[in-house]
Amino acid sequence: MIGDILTILRDNWLLLLIGQYPNGPLGGFAATLILSALSIALAFPLSVLIALARLSRNPLLLWPSSALVYLARGVPLLMLILWVYFMVPLLLGANVPGFVTMLVTLVMYEGAFLSEVVRGGIVALGRGQMEAARALGHSYPQALLYVVLPQALYNVIPSLISQFVSTIKETTLGYVINVPELTFAANQINNQILTQPFQVFFLLAVIYYAVCWTLTALAVRLERRIARRRAGPASAPAPLPVRQLTAEP
Amino acid sequence: MTEIATTDAAMIRFASVTKYYGAYKALDDVTAEVGRGEVVVVCGPSGSGKSTLIRTVNRLEEIASGTLTFDGERVHGPLKAATLNRLRSRIGFVFQSFNLFPHLSALENVTLSPVKVNGTTREVARDRAMALLDRVGLSAKAGAYPAQLSGGQQQRVAIARALAMEPPAMLFDEPTSALDPEMVGEVLAVMRGLAAEGMTMMCVTHEMGFAREVADRVWFMDAGRILETATPDAFFSDPQHPRAKKFLFDLRH
Amino acid sequence: MHGFDLLAVLSNPDFAGMLWSGALVTLVVAAGSWCLAMGLALVLLSLRLAPGRIGDRVVAAYVSYHRNVPTLVQLMLWYFGIASLLPDPVQTWLNDHGAEAVYGVVGLGLCQAAYFSEDLRSGLRAVATGQMEAARALGHGFVGALRHVLMPQAIRNALPALVNHSVSLFKNSSLAMAIGVSELTHAVKEVENLSFRTFETYLIATIAYLAVSLVIMGIGAALQWRGQVMGAR
Repeated sequence: MIGDILTILRDNWLLLLIGQYPNGPLGGFAATLILSALSIALAFPLSVLIALARLSRNPLLLWPSSALVYLARGVPLLMLILWVYFMVPLLLGANVPGFVTMLVTLVMYEGAFLSEVVRGGIVALGRGQMEAARALGHSYPQALLYVVLPQALYNVIPSLISQFVSTIKETTLGYVINVPELTFAANQINNQILTQPFQVFFLLAVIYYAVCWTLTALAVRLERRIARRRAGPASAPAPLPVRQLTAEP
Repeated sequence: MTEIATTDAAMIRFASVTKYYGAYKALDDVTAEVGRGEVVVVCGPSGSGKSTLIRTVNRLEEIASGTLTFDGERVHGPLKAATLNRLRSRIGFVFQSFNLFPHLSALENVTLSPVKVNGTTREVARDRAMALLDRVGLSAKAGAYPAQLSGGQQQRVAIARALAMEPPAMLFDEPTSALDPEMVGEVLAVMRGLAAEGMTMMCVTHEMGFAREVADRVWFMDAGRILETATPDAFFSDPQHPRAKKFLFDLRH
Repeated sequence: MHGFDLLAVLSNPDFAGMLWSGALVTLVVAAGSWCLAMGLALVLLSLRLAPGRIGDRVVAAYVSYHRNVPTLVQLMLWYFGIASLLPDPVQTWLNDHGAEAVYGVVGLGLCQAAYFSEDLRSGLRAVATGQMEAARALGHGFVGALRHVLMPQAIRNALPALVNHSVSLFKNSSLAMAIGVSELTHAVKEVENLSFRTFETYLIATIAYLAVSLVIMGIGAALQWRGQVMGAR
């Protein structure tokens, strides 16, 4: 059994790593990683905006941002992927690759989930910091930019990594719209071999496990380090505990 | 059960009881007894082993050696879980931190154990609980949850909860130490009432006024040993042991 | 293209029927895996609480696997992989009895049990230390103390997380589509293909999903509100 798995790995490591590149689109683990990293990188600034909109009293900001968050919390990611798959070509008037469909969906989805983390970070900071900055004559945007966000976002860093782990797991859904990533590659291999489905999918699970476990361990270490650094001044809030908001795929 | 019980004049009997925390000797060869209907107040400086001693009686702490009996029944050594549970259900215990069950109302706190441990019917348990809450002056708060009660009220509910198991003896582990000063009186009043009715009581407390007024005997502990046992009159007017003298001197100054 | 017309989908008995039965399968899969997950979570929690390190280690490994491997991959491993290891008669029997749905419920349930058991464990850890002592002092056994005193509080503490993860589980039921379970998302794809009314079909399904999710969140909020009426510690 283990021999079979090693043979599969030896014969297909390149496909698992980069898909059919350069003869086809970049796929495999590389695509998974790039897709996840890009998604989080774009989702993070979006999440800050959504969080601020959710904290605003202006209904024009509050309502749409809240709607987006509840949509992400209440509707399966798969359904959202189908929406984007359908709507983006309509809006752009041109077909887009599955990679882009997946990216757009994940940015919105993760942006919504991360915004809850960011909002929690801002709320945990308490009103005192904002009031102090305003009392010193800073405008609201200045107070946000120089006082509130630097503290709140610093505390959010560990959650960012665990959210990155969630995103890696979520990219597997790209399989449904044929995005060439790691799970897609595994299915290709399975279709070639046909006789060893357990070995193929077990290998796939092991790869995901190794990556996600390592990143989660990193997030926990980072959280402890930040907690230590923050332990000094008594007034500073503790960093948010690392937890995945999405038990999604 | 009762056959054995009547053969023993003491309700609680410690014989050469020793207990360690790691290398630290928390109880050092304690031999003493609480008689039936007797009220004993255990006092001494903090860290002297008073709480440890009282907690060994219902085996919240295990003793390392010696013998310990409650109402003639062995508490130490190997016991069946069911035996231990039955034993514990007969020992009323009141904690410093109340430990009411926060998810249950005052009434439910008092009825839970009679129903689940003793198999009392709900109706009987309820009637009894209401009578007990009335007795501690809280029948009006039967439906309140612990978070809605003051510390003094919580501790009175905790006493009612312990009494609901109809224990032949009550143990109090610093029952007023976690209370604001203005609430100490209401809890002591309930304890005084119990003593007046002839309840066997063992109380760890810093309330020397209570000890002087209610106790039949005072045990003075230090460094895991009982250094002096005396009537309150004798203890407070003429302590024998130098450390007891120092303890009382420190209390007054 | 047609104009927007929800009724074109809803009033067509075929389409409406497909969506309705898809929705029912979604609810059955979600409810089935929820029950499996909660039951298993209690077992995992008991193993953690049992004396000795082995149970604790085994559960930790279980939780780690199910949290670090994507749910979709877990489902694939069940449906394509583990199924192939079963003896032939069992495979045949399962295939005659809706194997997809069985693997869907088992896969989702086992995965979510890891999350539920961790929620309950942190809920239990947040219960005040004196509670066990107080219950034991009143004569409750270890199990009785857990059942009547600690667990009710642990569940209350864990409620927000349990609700979030229940919503996740409900949403994840859509993944069962990838292994061929004809649940709501699967039905949506079929109706879309037959009716060419993509927008309307997606909208109906999205509203249905959102409604159930909001109901779950609402139940959670109501339970929590009831807890708050009792008052915090």
